[in-house]
Amino acid sequence: MKTLYNKIKSKHILYSGIWFQDLPKDVSLDGYRIDNVISYTDLIISIYFGIVVALLAYFIYQYRASKGHKATYDHGDKRKNVLVTGGLGLLVFFSVDAVIETMAFKDLREAFWNFPKGENVVRIEVMPQQYAWNFCYPGPDNEFGTDDDIIPTQNQMHVPVNTPIVIQLASWDVIHSFYLPNFRVKQDAVPGMITPLWFQAKETGVYDIACAELCGNGHYRMKGYLTVETKEDYQSWLNENSVQETESDEWDDWDDDDDDSGVPENWSWVWEALK
Amino acid sequence: MSSNNQTSFITKYIFSTDHKVIAKQFMVMGTFFLFFGGAMAMLIRWQLAYPEQKVPWWLLGFIFENDGGIITPDIYNQLFTMHGTIMIFWAITPLLIGTFGNFLIPLQIGTHDMAFPKLNMLSFWTMFLASLVLLSSYILPNGAASGGWTSYPPLSSPSGGIPGLGQTIWTLALILMGVSTMMGAINYISTVVRLRARGMDYFKMPLSIWGLFLASILNSVFVPVIAAGLILLLLDQTIGTEFFLAGRLASGDPGDPLLFQHVFWIFGHPEVYILILPVWGIVSDLLSVFSRKPAYGYKVTAIAMSTVVALSSLVWGHHMYTTGMSPLLGKSFMFLTLLISIPSSMFFLNWLGTLWRGSLHFDTPMLFSIGVIWVFGIGGLTGLYNATVTADIYLHDTMFVVGHFHYTLAASVMLGSFAAIYYWFPCMFGIKLDSMLGKIHFWGSFISLNYVFFNMMAVGYAGQHRRIYNPSEYSFLKHLSGINEWITIFSFILGAFQALFLINIIWSLFKNEKSEKNPWHATTLEWTVEYPIPHGNFIHEPIVFNGPHEYSRPDILDRDWLGQDEKEDDFKHG
Repeated sequence: MKTLYNKIKSKHILYSGIWFQDLPKDVSLDGYRIDNVISYTDLIISIYFGIVVALLAYFIYQYRASKGHKATYDHGDKRKNVLVTGGLGLLVFFSVDAVIETMAFKDLREAFWNFPKGENVVRIEVMPQQYAWNFCYPGPDNEFGTDDDIIPTQNQMHVPVNTPIVIQLASWDVIHSFYLPNFRVKQDAVPGMITPLWFQAKETGVYDIACAELCGNGHYRMKGYLTVETKEDYQSWLNENSVQETESDEWDDWDDDDDDSGVPENWSWVWEALK
Repeated sequence: MSSNNQTSFITKYIFSTDHKVIAKQFMVMGTFFLFFGGAMAMLIRWQLAYPEQKVPWWLLGFIFENDGGIITPDIYNQLFTMHGTIMIFWAITPLLIGTFGNFLIPLQIGTHDMAFPKLNMLSFWTMFLASLVLLSSYILPNGAASGGWTSYPPLSSPSGGIPGLGQTIWTLALILMGVSTMMGAINYISTVVRLRARGMDYFKMPLSIWGLFLASILNSVFVPVIAAGLILLLLDQTIGTEFFLAGRLASGDPGDPLLFQHVFWIFGHPEVYILILPVWGIVSDLLSVFSRKPAYGYKVTAIAMSTVVALSSLVWGHHMYTTGMSPLLGKSFMFLTLLISIPSSMFFLNWLGTLWRGSLHFDTPMLFSIGVIWVFGIGGLTGLYNATVTADIYLHDTMFVVGHFHYTLAASVMLGSFAAIYYWFPCMFGIKLDSMLGKIHFWGSFISLNYVFFNMMAVGYAGQHRRIYNPSEYSFLKHLSGINEWITIFSFILGAFQALFLINIIWSLFKNEKSEKNPWHATTLEWTVEYPIPHGNFIHEPIVFNGPHEYSRPDILDRDWLGQDEKEDDFKHG
């Protein structure tokens, strides 16, 4: 007990036990859509829960037996009662559910499932393994599955700012989940499946990549870094990586009991056309 | 005592076919695992607040001596895996469905026992065997399962890299648990359908029975699904089949990891309702008893609960929005999920309607029931975020989800189980639990669990993902260390208050103050029998005249209730 007491006393935590937290900073083109639907839900459920709590408090105060309040014999099963309950149920449905559903479907149609096309798009293949992130860029010929594919150091992903990034995800071993908190991106990587996703960065900087799906004992440290940089910086980084074949130290020790299952040096797959 | 020929100690207390004894057996088992799972929860919280620091003695730090007194990543993964598994299948299920399903169904519908008493006994002892199998995984060299309570393959198959047999033993234990649950479910359904007393129509059954009956229907339909999935997983784990393995990348092995997820959640989502339905029913009844007023909109509540049951089997896909399944499916699952809010807000409103113009008595079970209204309100409303495909992209697999389902499951079910235990303890043991201790237990639990679970949602909102050993690894989570410590401190407080519950039980049993008959002046049949309740329950089969909630009838003299088996004419003016 004493250790715990000292911890409480000695640290700043007395001031940080507050109930509300902000979402992490959003630096993506469409993340605001997710934030908006979350904010609307925050607001509307606070109102409804507030009403419930107010009623509850009033009933507890007003109808307490200790004050001598006598109960009214009422089954609440008349047509009128049922219509009121049903009506309120529908009110909740249309003011909460229908609104967030409309918002979500619109966002899916306009952004998250509306994959960008054209020359400007940067395509990247992402293949997680226990416990690291592998990335692959198409190289000068702009095709995957060819000799000039660029595979940079593990856990290092670079993208140009203000450019749509389309990713295809697949997994080397177990299920992982590609999680970019600052971009409101999360997509599972499932063995046997290639899953597409896209996002666009608005601000340069270095951001966390995390694995959101339990993938083993090293799940918590399966961390990568996403560097968002200007188009020029991005291009020079690509060039650097295509010239010198990077030998990573981590490359060999990820799986040392079964060596024919290691990730091959050139692991990319032919880009899958969108269905 | 006509049907009681179980006289030796063993047939009376161990291999008993009496539903009341089996209920108590399940209660002891459920309480044991509740504390076991709770202790694991506190160890998880210790690691999240004080990563890789020595576990103190009062958290049983000596267990970790071999690892230098700290919780290692593999132990951490075992902790949350077993915490989830044990709380869901070995604590909540035995406490609500095992204990109150067994105890209440025959007594409240007015019959002598379950339809199949021997099957009932077999169900308990299969569960007991399942417990032994599950616990045996702790003595394995590589420890217990660590693939999460969902145990998705390929992680949970041999190629997933989890060493040892823990994962296989886990699968085996769950299959046995499933067998036990199916036996129980068939028994409960048969009993309710076939053995109701004369006059006990479906719409005269207490809502507790409705909840337990509907939960049993879900169990009988969906437990076989997960059992089938687990058997396939067991084959993958033991004889090398590849039902759920797809090979590296898209290399074309025929299995499919997502198939397991579908099978898991086809069962898994109804499972949520299996756990919560008995609580809905029990709370609906208790609110009526302690408001001295009929349950508001009884039929609407029963039908709304049934509607939720039907819908619950069509919404499993909302657990899988981020798996990359077809966008069209995502939309359909979102729509179906949101439909659930209509029936659930209807019976929720009926709870408030019951309190409205009642005469509220704040005994311990009533406090816990009102607590359920609060926590289920929060739990239900926060489900909206997770049902929304876009919001779920961000919130999926974060602590927000953890906070949300702890509100709906842990908080609602815990408070609901305690309400039921405080309420029916006099009926089960002839002794009333101490009301002052009970009230302190309520307020301590209620405040601390709200702090813990609300702030879990808060840190999830800020981006902290689930099942990570050390949140301080990530720069976007660094500022959460303070709030994580507070959650942990309050989880210890929550744990400490549960000791009051044990103390209350032990102390009350020790004091042995006999409860009066029907101490809550309730109308249902379980309060009409003689104590201790003999094997066979009723001396004469009861005849039911009234609904379950006849409180404060103006035409009844002298008292404010009319039992289900009482003729109203006997209590009227001249």
